[in-house]
Amino acid sequence: MSDGQWSPSTGQIVVSGLTKQYKNVRAVDNLSFTVESGRVTGFLGPNGAGKTTTLRMLLNLVTPSGGTATIGGQRYADLTDPLRHVGAVLEASSAHKGRTGINHLRVICAAAGLPKSRADEALALVGLTPAAKRKFKGYSLGMKQRLGIAAAMLGNPRVLILDEPANGLDPEGIRWMRGFLKGLAHEGRTVLVSSHLLSEMQLLADDVVIIAAGKLIRQGPVEQVLGSMAQGGRVRVRTPQAEELTVALREQSATVETDEHGVLLISGLEAPAIGRAALAAKVELHELTPERPDLERVFLELTAGKAGIR
Amino acid sequence: MNLVRSELLKIRTTSTWWIFGLITVPLWALTALINWLQTDALANNNFGDVPADQADQIQAAQSVDSLAANVYTNGQFFGLMIVMLLGIIVVTSEFFHQTVTTTFLTVPHRTAVMLAKLAAAAVLAVLFWLVTTGFNLIFGALVMSSVDLGSQLGSGAVWRATALNGLAYLLWSVLGVGIGVLIRSQIGATVTGILLYLGGAVGAAIAISILAARWGDWINDLQVLVPSLASSLMVSGTEIPGNPPRWAGAVVLIGYAVVAGAIGTLTMRRRDIS
Repeated sequence: MSDGQWSPSTGQIVVSGLTKQYKNVRAVDNLSFTVESGRVTGFLGPNGAGKTTTLRMLLNLVTPSGGTATIGGQRYADLTDPLRHVGAVLEASSAHKGRTGINHLRVICAAAGLPKSRADEALALVGLTPAAKRKFKGYSLGMKQRLGIAAAMLGNPRVLILDEPANGLDPEGIRWMRGFLKGLAHEGRTVLVSSHLLSEMQLLADDVVIIAAGKLIRQGPVEQVLGSMAQGGRVRVRTPQAEELTVALREQSATVETDEHGVLLISGLEAPAIGRAALAAKVELHELTPERPDLERVFLELTAGKAGIR
Repeated sequence: MNLVRSELLKIRTTSTWWIFGLITVPLWALTALINWLQTDALANNNFGDVPADQADQIQAAQSVDSLAANVYTNGQFFGLMIVMLLGIIVVTSEFFHQTVTTTFLTVPHRTAVMLAKLAAAAVLAVLFWLVTTGFNLIFGALVMSSVDLGSQLGSGAVWRATALNGLAYLLWSVLGVGIGVLIRSQIGATVTGILLYLGGAVGAAIAISILAARWGDWINDLQVLVPSLASSLMVSGTEIPGNPPRWAGAVVLIGYAVVAGAIGTLTMRRRDIS
């Protein structure tokens, strides 16, 4: 594989001041962020936030009204042999319905100057070999997604860009995709995945970029973004001796609330301190769980009032 | 070259080309029947009384060269329409099946993609012309012999008409690609193309003869501006009195093809794919 003038800093994606003005709406508004290699980056935003438009500008499919987007220091349009550097999966249904899966890949190989054998290899990589000679219209949604990924992997690229790849996948398919993308990042590749499925992103992503209404809301490692929103970290406690424990904890100036199931929600004390207090008071514990802020809640708080139709 | 190979592979790996090939066969047979009857009538002078002002034209059409050119380019009327539709589909199927995204991701250089599409459509058109001409050589020789004029295969006029027929196939496929870019909707482009072709031939001919009756004969010369009339003029075996010269037909058609191809390419370069 020839790397051309690929810079040693490899597959870093840099979006800088990117803007897309349509007639009545500013779909992307002065957006800047970076995506590092060796990590899975989740690109999150409500529907209509401008995720797809941003990805399409990054890939030279849509012309920006302003700003730049580069991959490994170059604009997509300036890459020689783009498929050897960047693989992209945009919409699941992007193959001719009457063409077989293997022929779809061979057409791309021919245009990209890749050997025909890459089509078979890529199909095997996504586990689609048994359906190679079936026509695209006979594929399930999951198979279509896999074919899209196979097409993106034809040139063995350093950078992978996927737009809502989990759409329409069954749980098994989602688990497969998660393992596959994590594996690629582990090999040092850049993986940028847009999604609105937050629970999935929490399992998959190392970093997140959150946008709403075309603007950047937050960027950084998942724990950091979650941490910035952590609200004192409540701890859930279940115990048959709720009253005794409540008294013991209030002595240590913790705040104790009780939910409708009788579970204690404690703030102001960390889990180890609560455990110690329970032991000292000879209280039996059935559950002791620090509540972690999840991505969904953080996301909803961050994008509150900025989502929706513009 | 990779790109043209890829475009031809796209055509080969779907059923469009052979479906259109199958459609072409009965249409060819239909025009063959009409041409046989017409040639028979012209060669045997079965016209009865001819108005004096049309006598010249009939006489020119009766010339052996003209008869031969006509039968050896049989099937042109529908053949041109078929290759134009194939040209349209080469472009519009990419939008219909949303494969244009993949195509431009693979090759961000859009002008190159459009040139490859034009080349692939032209290759396909030339193949259709070759096969049609193969059939015509058999059919034409039979018809010409049946009216006792000999096969005429030694005549320069026949081969000139056949070559120009090939040029017409090529140009119409290019026109089709241009229409396909301008009207991305597959059904919209197809309907427009057919209307332009059939309506252009019939409608314009009627309109021009009405206008000519009102404002004089010079308007007849304008028919060369109608694409389908221009191409039939281009392949006619002889100069017909009262018609513009054949080279004018060629110039007009090449002009349309170049303009359609150029506008198509420029449009595609700037268009947002979303």
